[in-house]
Amino acid sequence: MKRILVVGGGTGGTIVANNLAHRLHEKLVKGEIEITVVDSSSLHVYQPAYLLIPFGIMHRNEAIRSERDLLAETIKFRQERVNKIDVNNRLVKTDSSSLQYDFLVLATGAQPDYSQVPGLEKGGYDFYTLENAYKLREAIGKFEGGRLVVAVAGIPFKCPTAPMEFAFLADSYYSKLGVRDKIELDYLYPLPRPFTIPNVAEQVQKLMDDRKIKTDLLFNVESVNPEKKEITSIEGETIKYDLAVLTPPHTGSEVVRVSGLTDKGGWIPTDRYTLHVKGYDDVYAIGDATDLPVSKAGSAADFQAAVVSTNIWDNINGFPPSLRYDGRVMCFIITAIGEATILLFDYEHPPSPPPPNFACYWYKLVYNRMYWTVTAKGLLPGFGV
Amino acid sequence: MSHEEEKVKVIDARGSYCPGPLMELIRTVKQSNIGDIIEVWSSDEGSQRDIPKWTEKAGHEFLGVIHEKGYDRIRVRKTR
Repeated sequence: MKRILVVGGGTGGTIVANNLAHRLHEKLVKGEIEITVVDSSSLHVYQPAYLLIPFGIMHRNEAIRSERDLLAETIKFRQERVNKIDVNNRLVKTDSSSLQYDFLVLATGAQPDYSQVPGLEKGGYDFYTLENAYKLREAIGKFEGGRLVVAVAGIPFKCPTAPMEFAFLADSYYSKLGVRDKIELDYLYPLPRPFTIPNVAEQVQKLMDDRKIKTDLLFNVESVNPEKKEITSIEGETIKYDLAVLTPPHTGSEVVRVSGLTDKGGWIPTDRYTLHVKGYDDVYAIGDATDLPVSKAGSAADFQAAVVSTNIWDNINGFPPSLRYDGRVMCFIITAIGEATILLFDYEHPPSPPPPNFACYWYKLVYNRMYWTVTAKGLLPGFGV
Repeated sequence: MSHEEEKVKVIDARGSYCPGPLMELIRTVKQSNIGDIIEVWSSDEGSQRDIPKWTEKAGHEFLGVIHEKGYDRIRVRKTR
């Protein structure tokens, strides 16, 4: 019997497991294959909802499902905390089990690390957990005017488009309420442009200028003073705020760090094409956990899951691997309530987004629902790539 | 430049893409002493544009670029 073990029940891990369960159904039923997903949480969260909850566009019940219910019945789900991953002995230890594998998929994700910036956690709000998204919703609703600062307080972070989308949504939200003129909206970003990809950054800068969102670039947050409501940069600037929405830097999960599987930044060194953990042909890494030079976003995990599930299937059936990850990512950028554009790019081809339009926004809202019935179910991983 | 070689802190960011090399430089400058020279090895073309801009804004001294095969050595001195 071949054992496929998936550590992490987020987007990437769930798609890999479900897609393999579809493809290997007969072998699973016969007991020739075993697929196990292990995660400390029983819940699966659709994290793109975090951005939309503060503006009332999505709600808790649209963002959460039971991981057990989301997985195919043939998959074993263990709600256990993983303590150690021993790739040399093909062994994963949890609080209560020692799990052996033939194929291991690490989909252990990323998490906010507030400790990197003094004052960050108490100085403002963020939307990187469900709880924080709801706290921010309350703060956004109560905000009556003054300086609203949206700042990126460290790179890398999950979903590179999210902070600028937040700024656009705030502009749109307060405009619809008729109070936009009472709010000064500032966007602070570490790079010399408001987004990593230069041609997209040009379009974003123009949109921000048009909407009177002030950009302060090359602003690397050094510390936040919650009492004085001030953000100080490494470059020597200090900016005052009335309400701050701060994107924390992220780090990889503790278990891959303590297992010695990461670089100094906490990310898993991963072959950019095969998605093997470097040095281990039986271990794959996908999604936010990797050191790949692509966005830490569910869409990247989806495309990577297609590659990993296909190549594991190939291996089990005696074929050579038939897919390579080409760096593909697809991201929506919501530019207002009711308006969005879309980025589709890979290692070799930068994105060429269309002008913001309603159709892209509508597609994003539809996709939010489709995630549960198509994407996470592994029915069309990577949109069939 | 030869007498400075011993003091140079090298960040090998080859293979890392924007914003990796710049972010590694910022992190290293933060942890360095005034007067230290930091040299970023970068194969990302954007570094040649972004690093001087950041250095100027942050008030440090940009010392120049040495082109090597497949990558650049970009030098900065921490001045404050």
